[in-house]
Amino acid sequence: MYFQLAWRNIWRNPRRTAVIMTAVIIGVWSMIFLNALMRGMESDMIKNSIATLTGHLQIHHKDYRNDPVIENSMYDTKALETALNKVLPPGVYRSARIRVNAIVGNARHTSGITLVGINPIPEAKTSFIGHAINQGRYLKPEDKYGVIVGQALLVKFETKIGRKLVLMSQDTDGNIASRAFRIIGTFKAEMQATEKQFAFVTITAARHMLKLEKGVSEVSITLPDNIDVEHVSTRLKAELGTDEYLIQTWRELLPIINAYLVIFDGFIFIWSFVVFIAMGFGIVNTTLMAVFERMREFGLLKALGMKPWWIIRAVLYESFLLLVMGMTIGNILAFLCVFALSKSGIDLSAFAAGAEFAGISKIIYPAVYTKDVIISNLVVIILGLLVSIYPAAKAARFTPVEAFAQT
Amino acid sequence: MSIDVKMAWRNIWRNPRRTILTISAIAFACLLLVFMLSFQFGSYETMINSSVKIHTGHLQVQSAGYQEKKSIRLVVPDPDAIGKILDQIQSVEAYTSRANAFSLVSSKKRTYGSIIIGIDPVKETKVSTLKSLMRKGSYLAKDDTDQILIGNLLAKNLKVGIQDELTLLGQGRDGSIAATVVKVKGIYSSGIDDLDRSSIQMPLKYFQDVYGMHGAVHEVVVTGKSLKDVDGIKTLLNTGIKKIDPKLPLVVLDWKELTPGLLQSIELDLVSGIIFYFLLILVVAFSILNTFLMVIFERTREFGVLKAIGITPGRLTKLLLIESISMTVIGIAAGIITGSLITLYFQGHGIDISGASDILVQYGISGRIYPRLSLLSALSGPGIVFIITFLAALYPAFKIRSLRPVEAMTYV
Amino acid sequence: MNSKVISTAILTVFIVACLCIDSHAQDARTIVKEGFNYMRGKSSFSVVDMTIHRPDWERKMTIEAWTKGLKNSLFRIIAPAKDKDNGTLKRGREMWMYNPKVNRVIKLPPSMMSQAWMGSDFSNNDLSKTDSLIDEYIHTITGTQTHDGKKVYLIKSIPKPDAPVVWGMQKLKIREDHVFLAQEFYDEDLKLVKAMTTFKIRMLGGKMFPKVWRMQKADVTDEYTELNYKELSFKKNLKDSLFTISNLKNPRR
Repeated sequence: MYFQLAWRNIWRNPRRTAVIMTAVIIGVWSMIFLNALMRGMESDMIKNSIATLTGHLQIHHKDYRNDPVIENSMYDTKALETALNKVLPPGVYRSARIRVNAIVGNARHTSGITLVGINPIPEAKTSFIGHAINQGRYLKPEDKYGVIVGQALLVKFETKIGRKLVLMSQDTDGNIASRAFRIIGTFKAEMQATEKQFAFVTITAARHMLKLEKGVSEVSITLPDNIDVEHVSTRLKAELGTDEYLIQTWRELLPIINAYLVIFDGFIFIWSFVVFIAMGFGIVNTTLMAVFERMREFGLLKALGMKPWWIIRAVLYESFLLLVMGMTIGNILAFLCVFALSKSGIDLSAFAAGAEFAGISKIIYPAVYTKDVIISNLVVIILGLLVSIYPAAKAARFTPVEAFAQT
Repeated sequence: MSIDVKMAWRNIWRNPRRTILTISAIAFACLLLVFMLSFQFGSYETMINSSVKIHTGHLQVQSAGYQEKKSIRLVVPDPDAIGKILDQIQSVEAYTSRANAFSLVSSKKRTYGSIIIGIDPVKETKVSTLKSLMRKGSYLAKDDTDQILIGNLLAKNLKVGIQDELTLLGQGRDGSIAATVVKVKGIYSSGIDDLDRSSIQMPLKYFQDVYGMHGAVHEVVVTGKSLKDVDGIKTLLNTGIKKIDPKLPLVVLDWKELTPGLLQSIELDLVSGIIFYFLLILVVAFSILNTFLMVIFERTREFGVLKAIGITPGRLTKLLLIESISMTVIGIAAGIITGSLITLYFQGHGIDISGASDILVQYGISGRIYPRLSLLSALSGPGIVFIITFLAALYPAFKIRSLRPVEAMTYV
Repeated sequence: MNSKVISTAILTVFIVACLCIDSHAQDARTIVKEGFNYMRGKSSFSVVDMTIHRPDWERKMTIEAWTKGLKNSLFRIIAPAKDKDNGTLKRGREMWMYNPKVNRVIKLPPSMMSQAWMGSDFSNNDLSKTDSLIDEYIHTITGTQTHDGKKVYLIKSIPKPDAPVVWGMQKLKIREDHVFLAQEFYDEDLKLVKAMTTFKIRMLGGKMFPKVWRMQKADVTDEYTELNYKELSFKKNLKDSLFTISNLKNPRR
């Protein structure tokens, strides 16, 4: 009966209902959408920083991080493989690399870089390099003399695809090792510094150059979203032991990125807080007005003999119905928005008009977390109910005469 | 005052509750927009400042061409003269001189190429965060000579610790060979790999002896009191240098020219803020629109009565617009004032946004963001609100023209 | 020792024979190799003035140099007084530097090999990789000129495909009496990067030898490094012990 009454009441004044619903819809939509955007940006930041070779986890020889030379390689690759196969769940990508400081030079320029010897196929799945090629082609396992450098390095060196670069480093005997490579492709990265820092060759070519028969400098592991990094790290430590190996998570590997993420988190928190306040204010204001408008009506009901408690209950029923309908639409709208953007993302460079951003595409892909959706909805419904109680309770206390006097 | 204005004004206060709700909606919207835009500008500035304070500073005076070539012979011959100009500029917070030389650095086990930076141990602390970046050992004292500070990655590569000896071998300003043996006094980590992997800092005086600088330096590094002072300082410095000698081959570079990538990466991050701002505007716009619509619905009866007693639709529209504009103006004024006050409070105290500020402090980044109130941040948000409210008021103001008195009066 | 003399003699005869028949049949690689051997001798000792010239600045130093074959060399600065006794030892591809003030020897890491040697237009690589020209390039004679009435071979040297050299091409001018007249370094677009030219060919150390060598970058006009031989003598053999780190530190002449 109450339900029916409430339902009819709602449609008795469709304009008012529409306004309140708009407030609720916008409230729910903005919260869910904002959260999705923020989550998207956050995971984008993490992904970007770990995709630049770091990965979620890295394994090194215990001395390598302190002294990144070819001698500090992990030689027992078989034991390593066995342990990794045992611990890592399916869906995990990993890549073994040789990584040493080197000098790259051509006739006019030289520069210090990091030489990375990779297994082209697994590497493409683990780090950014597989999909960052913007000119030429990616490495093939059989490339003996092919090298991939960053676009910025190519420009700095005034060279082009097909041209030669001489790489120099120290081999396992401590002698100077040099080898000529041809540029077969270039990669693009978010930071110019990255483009100038790395040169990729096949692991076989790197081994040949550095006179390393077997062994790798590092293993980088990229986990799917649902697997806890710390957990895998602990298991790997137990399996491999820490006497010979150093196992680190990206938070340990990239302390400054970690620090920036913390700042970003705070930043996001403030934004959601402010949008929440704005949204809350909208709902409160609209609901308050709507209920105040009905003061006369409540007074009439009271004059007809309705108990104050009933009035409150009736108001709550109505509000509840309104809120649920608004929320439903709001949720649908939010999901539609997220869905619409999930493919193309939001291209931020479009917002920042100006030549400085020309050529840079910073795209946010919204990401929806169930937790965020539940919280958003709960917040809206509780807020909505709370604000409708106040005027209803007030109206319920009025004498009919007072209530009629209200305009 | 015309009768209409008077009537509108009375109308507004006839139902103070409704009026206050409406005004507060507008004021609140303005407040949030003012605060958030200031916050946005503030975090922009905080991020730039924390980056430039690690090493580059806001501005540098260098010899023309030094930024590209880094040749030891391209010097600022008389840093004291630049100092005198800087002392005259109010908005300069601090400045220091540095000299750089590329040298071989050799420990017992290893040799690497590295940048040797001569710093003034006392003045440096006011310009950069170097002192707070020390991880091991201690910072340079005023009268230290053959003591150096070394980046942690370079220290690792060279396999040296505190008190270990390093040999430096490079080329002096006159092309002669510069060599010296120094002791590691401290190890720093800035979190910026470039700096930590290939830099060594030694007292400027000692540097000038070893590298035969004859009192010259390579960079005069300046920090301004705030980021917005940078352009002003740059102009004053340029005129000041011209006054000494218009032919001096010196240039003044600001942080954008010194670290071109920084601007790019920070702006890219903060562009995301635009989306949030857009969302916020959308939310407040609806909240205002809703409030206005509600007010009009509530007053349908009243309008019906007014029309019935013969008030022309045009006059009614005018009446309503006057009402809403005056409410808007009051709301906006209140919003700007409270928003500015709140912003100013946080501008003084900062907002702690980090849960783990100890990580940040390690790298000399403050976990606090200081919003920055400016004319732009104070007025652009409210400007948008004004447009929104005006549009929101237009709809009902014209809608009532077609109101039929009898129907309106039966409206509950 | 004897065998080498004999083989040289045979070669000379061979060359002469070839010249009689057809000069173009002369093997380019042999010309280059012979040229190198002639210029370096088996071993040599020299005193050289090195002038580093820049538009606004010039610096001069005097260097003593010992060389043995193509692999080993030792340089020691004797003037100006400020830099006296600074030394550089090159053995094979490796280089060490010594400074008397700090009394330390520093081995050059690979990262430094492309840096300028003592601030000159010669890079450490130019000093340490001299022999790479012979082994890592394919030489062809592209023509001849005359110089002081003598025939000059113009040789184009293209690096072998996988040779770890940065140049796209080198061009050499070697006189028929083995005197190097010019060495030009080109990038892969075959644009000139830098060039070394020799002047004032005269009797030095018992043979015709250019007294002045100048290395100049291609795109700047007023920047070069000049070597001026003040003294030069070719020795039959210098002791290997000369080219050691301990000798770099303690000159015992």
